[in-house]
Amino acid sequence: MMTDRFSIAKCLARNASPLVLCGAVALIVIGTALANDAALDRTVTEALVRIVYVVGLYIFVGNSGVISFGHTAFMAIGAYTTAWQDCCSTTKSLFMPALPNVLLQANVPPPLATIVSGVVASIFAGVVGLAIVRLSGIGASIATFAVLAIVNVTFSNWDSVTAGTSTLVGIPNYTDHWIALLWAVIAIFAAHFYQTSRFGLSLRVSREDEVAAKASGVSIFRQRLIAFVISAFFVGVSGALYAHFLGTISVDAFYIDISLLTLAMLVVGGMNSLSGAVVGVAAISLLIEVLRQSEHGFALGSLTVSAPRGTQEIGLGVAMLVMLIFRRNGIAGNQEIGERLSRFLAPQLQRSSKLTEDF
Amino acid sequence: MMKRVIGTFLAAAAAAIALSGTVLAEEKPIVIGFAIAQSGWFAINDDGGIKAAELAIDELNAKGGILGRKIKTIYADNKSDRAQGAKGALEVLEKGADAVFVDLDYDMGVAAALEANKAGKIAFSIGAEDVKMGVQGVGPLAFTSAMAAQLEGAAMAEWGYEKKGFKTTYLLTDTLIEYTKSVCNGYDVAAKTLAGAKIVGRDTFKNGDPSMVAQVTRIKNLDPAPDVIMICTFTPGGGAAVRQIRAAGIKTPIFSTTAMDGNYWLDAVPNLSEFYYPVHGSDYGDDPRAAVNDVVKKYKAKYNAEPPFTHALLGYVAVNLYATAVERAKSTDAKKVAAALESSDGIPTILGPYSFSHDLHIQNKFSFPIMSVQDGKHAVIDTWVTKTPFTTNELLRKAE
Repeated sequence: MMTDRFSIAKCLARNASPLVLCGAVALIVIGTALANDAALDRTVTEALVRIVYVVGLYIFVGNSGVISFGHTAFMAIGAYTTAWQDCCSTTKSLFMPALPNVLLQANVPPPLATIVSGVVASIFAGVVGLAIVRLSGIGASIATFAVLAIVNVTFSNWDSVTAGTSTLVGIPNYTDHWIALLWAVIAIFAAHFYQTSRFGLSLRVSREDEVAAKASGVSIFRQRLIAFVISAFFVGVSGALYAHFLGTISVDAFYIDISLLTLAMLVVGGMNSLSGAVVGVAAISLLIEVLRQSEHGFALGSLTVSAPRGTQEIGLGVAMLVMLIFRRNGIAGNQEIGERLSRFLAPQLQRSSKLTEDF
Repeated sequence: MMKRVIGTFLAAAAAAIALSGTVLAEEKPIVIGFAIAQSGWFAINDDGGIKAAELAIDELNAKGGILGRKIKTIYADNKSDRAQGAKGALEVLEKGADAVFVDLDYDMGVAAALEANKAGKIAFSIGAEDVKMGVQGVGPLAFTSAMAAQLEGAAMAEWGYEKKGFKTTYLLTDTLIEYTKSVCNGYDVAAKTLAGAKIVGRDTFKNGDPSMVAQVTRIKNLDPAPDVIMICTFTPGGGAAVRQIRAAGIKTPIFSTTAMDGNYWLDAVPNLSEFYYPVHGSDYGDDPRAAVNDVVKKYKAKYNAEPPFTHALLGYVAVNLYATAVERAKSTDAKKVAAALESSDGIPTILGPYSFSHDLHIQNKFSFPIMSVQDGKHAVIDTWVTKTPFTTNELLRKAE
């Protein structure tokens, strides 16, 4: 009996961070569902899709320490793979005539299409990753950006397969807040299990000290590639979710803007912890919404007070500057949210959990 | 002292409530919700159209509104972001919009238009020149106040051939956006219908390319030189492209698109001459139609500035088309309004009669004033009504 309770506590303690994070996110979603406000609902769903993206990005960037400017390429691939599978059965042959017949006829159910999109993004990452993860530091970062540029140019000009620069319309609106929540939870747990696994720990060691990692028999190339592929899967899924959320996609939606925004979320939240990734998305999404509303104007009695247009962009920039100046490690500051809770639940785990956090 | 202040405040509040009470007692206003770019990189394109639309609404309200109901406008800024556009449409719909007016670009406005159609409301673009802003790309309740972009190309091909005797053309396409591809496609289709007209060369570039040396050299090497260069582009990259062509000493006449309207970029090409393009209406006060000049004058009076470019007039037209349809339908019910728009064989507007059909919610025939630039001065020199018929598939550029 005693051992049972103890092992449950131990299990809870080991997974305290993802449990707390998912619980918090779920509470927000339930609150939104109860509020029954269409615009709020869209904001929250979009934020959840971004959690999937940023947590996916974190799996590679956070654990390897190599910043990627190119993960949006995987999002684009995820979104277009989705469109190839389940977009607009009547106009598909008109807009994407060069697709193979199987795809032209296909009407893959959205849940399956989402997973396939993630897998395709992963495969692509596996191939380009072979070259990218051999580079180190800034070289790798630039290479990821090059991949994004190549994907962007290819998709903008491959008219017969991607409809070029024109918008694809008619992707089923399958992503609602529950679906997005489900994937956010899956992404958070996957990231947690990965970073506490042998692979994740090896990669974190290499982040802190490449020489020491190599001396301990860690193949940095292999570990980075594994993280890159897993990471691309979730970013690809976020693309699929986004396509299913908006119902329309176009190439230019997957370029610099979203890349910088997601990277900013990760940096503001704290690049070195999973909690940072999730908190960053929440904080920036909230900030954007508050600034947008203030531009729109708050009603104070019969008066409407509104901030000048463009406040949102400036406010976001200022927030990031303040963050970088005063709290360089982000909101989470390299800590995991559930750390204290896990110490409380299972004090004897403290040493080992501390180990994983400090890498 | 404090008490007096509070007392005054209460009195003012009471007065405000009383005033709003009298407003409520009147007929409920018709609400037009603009889910549109008011900030961000696209805002400059929508700005003139929004202002012209407000001008049209002022005029209608001065005459007592539509169906005896005043028109009220509400806004949701999409910040030049499509996802935000969908949200903006939901926002204005929630606040009771009877119709949602969206950006003058299909790709920018489509998300908002889709939301409006999903909610069973009219979506009206203030000038998207893409057939997809209608039944094919949004739904049966989406309309646009523009003509298909292909007609611009067709107008220039036909006018150049008939009035200038141009037979050989060099076609230069800006591939950054769909619009420019469509204009050149229209030129191509029209040129095929003209006996003896020939496209002697083709090239592409991208708006914002820092250098066009390769393209310009290829044009220079043509022997004999083409009669005309058709360059389908838009500002700011279009200005740079024209500059590079002229700087290379190529004096061949240049045809272009409505998106090159406006004189703000002419500083880049001093004393530009032999430059022609079609416009919806002239914003320089010399339109052949008095009604257009009148609107431009009122616009200047209201905003103390000229309309930034010809597309602004399409915002004015969008409001009038919607208003006329509501009046004819005697209702703001979207299906009835759409039916009124479709059944009409010509709604008079300042740009001439408009007509929509069941599957074409864009104009397939248009009368363009032809604008010429000589020594850096704009002037309307002719008017051209397009002749080449375009099928829906051709408008979708899927006929090849």
